[in-house]
Amino acid sequence: MNLQTTMKVERISDEVWEIPTTEKPGMLVPARLYATERILQSMDRGVFDQLTNVACLPGIRRYALCMPDGHWGYGFPIGGVAAFDAQEGVISPGGVGYDINCGMRLIRTNLTFQAVQPKLEPLITELFRKVPAGVGSRGFVRLTRAEFRDVMRQGAGWCIARGYGWHQDLERIEEWGCLAGADPDQITDHAIERGIHQLGTLGSGNHYLEIQVVSNDGVFDRATAAAFGITGQDQIVVMVHCGSRGFGHQVASDYLKVFEKAMRRYNITVKDQQLACAPFRSPEGQDYFAAMNCAANSAFANRQVITHQIREAFASVFGQSAEELGMEIVYDVAHNIAKVERYAEGELVIHRKGSTRAFGPGRPELPALYRATGQPVICGGSMETGSYLLVGTEQAMQETFGSTMHGSGRTMSRTQAKRSVRGEQLQREMKQRGIIVKAVSMSGLAEEAGFAYKNISDVVETVDRAGITKKVAELRPIGNIKG
Amino acid sequence: MAGTFRWLEDVALADAAFEARGQTLSEVFQASGQAVIDALANPRTVQQSWRRTVDREAPDPGTLLFDWLSDLVFFKDAESVVYHSVSAEVGEQPGGAGWRLRSTITGAPIDSTTQELRADIKGVTKHLFDLRHDQTGWTTTVVLDL
Repeated sequence: MNLQTTMKVERISDEVWEIPTTEKPGMLVPARLYATERILQSMDRGVFDQLTNVACLPGIRRYALCMPDGHWGYGFPIGGVAAFDAQEGVISPGGVGYDINCGMRLIRTNLTFQAVQPKLEPLITELFRKVPAGVGSRGFVRLTRAEFRDVMRQGAGWCIARGYGWHQDLERIEEWGCLAGADPDQITDHAIERGIHQLGTLGSGNHYLEIQVVSNDGVFDRATAAAFGITGQDQIVVMVHCGSRGFGHQVASDYLKVFEKAMRRYNITVKDQQLACAPFRSPEGQDYFAAMNCAANSAFANRQVITHQIREAFASVFGQSAEELGMEIVYDVAHNIAKVERYAEGELVIHRKGSTRAFGPGRPELPALYRATGQPVICGGSMETGSYLLVGTEQAMQETFGSTMHGSGRTMSRTQAKRSVRGEQLQREMKQRGIIVKAVSMSGLAEEAGFAYKNISDVVETVDRAGITKKVAELRPIGNIKG
Repeated sequence: MAGTFRWLEDVALADAAFEARGQTLSEVFQASGQAVIDALANPRTVQQSWRRTVDREAPDPGTLLFDWLSDLVFFKDAESVVYHSVSAEVGEQPGGAGWRLRSTITGAPIDSTTQELRADIKGVTKHLFDLRHDQTGWTTTVVLDL
């Protein structure tokens, strides 16, 4: 097998591979990768180097894990999962990612493709008008500093209380849209100034709002799909991918500096500066956790305000209320986060960076409506190829700290993608294939071309066969808004 | 002679990386600032109705460069501006008291109807971050998180 590493990688099963602790000095636990042989061979060298670096961090338990959409990241690989003992282990901003609580939200509708297709262009235009995207965009919600601090504490609940959503939305958001322990006093003025105008904005890069279709042959598990409000029959759904914008990034940057100093104090050495960390129970670790929760709550609020705008846009274009259109949230999941969760080893600080929580049936953390099925897991693909709705499993609880994949992962640089296609050309070609795209930046659009990404279906098949999530439905894009 | 920059491929697939060069520290700073400006928007489409002077000090030139490039990202979000031009003068403080930068940045409020907007930089990263000096002058490598 031709891998981009010289380290020994042992086959545990067709979808699970292990790098033993003998492969790098300082590894405290083995590294495990979820991948088919083909995906493993396509993984860049950074994945192997970075995952084994993570396996050296103090207090790590069981394995350093990487999902099949894994690729090189800053410090931790994207697709990485790591669990640290809540008493003896560390917390690391690099294990969360710069875009704290970057995540996915899926909204169902009663509409069919046949009803939407004739109005698709005005719908995309209205969504583009109502949901700001692109460089430095500002949202319509004007916040005072005091109100922004309330957003940090209350997350999506703050939005619901002000009419930006429905009360029942909250149980359809991971952690009911609000992580406990957020403390705005741990946020710098710099971060506040960057974030205060950004509520309800998409951003740019790989963030998007997408109109999708679920066809009958795209439903793999009818019973679970029905429990999630997915009927198939060319049903229209809306997917949102965005996070905490510049606010979360500033929080991460601020605490990387704090942790660089803290590591000297606690005599911690790391293999990569961007793995900077501090003991979870130290003052620095607790301050970061409180600040990270603020950023995570602002991301839940961000996606909530965007949901409100999406409902307004649909109501305006179709002349019916969002309630009449059945625009319930299916679920909202974080894929850049650190959370305290309980497993066989005790209380652990689970870092998921480009990885989604995938809790199986029966977990008390899930709302009653999903406790029998397991939680919905939303995985975004490229704007040309489609996305997937999956469901969490008990096997994920046993093997991966209740975690799974999050998307498809890039295989081509942004520069190379722009050289291969112009944004205007891509927009025309996608329109010919029935996908209407509106973008603030045409060069940014070219960077997100489908050919720049891995085939998400291969990644999804891997986690399905591995059993750490199961396929529920495939979601095919027909309209997309990008920054 | 002015500094130059070029985009690096295959350094950060999902993000953007550049290398900037200059004979002097001021030149390499200016070229680096130009790279950030170009990444955000086509500067030829941005007016000069917004102006900001930045004075910064740091114990070493690398920290000074990192912090100053982060300032450009900060103003973009905090003041909703993109940039037309940037100037930078860098020098060592007397008595080995560190390094100082004086910079003027011009630009305008973001307006997608008149400006060619590009990528929204979320931050400057420390991944592979390097500022080095050799016989030909100064070179830096910077990875931007998009």
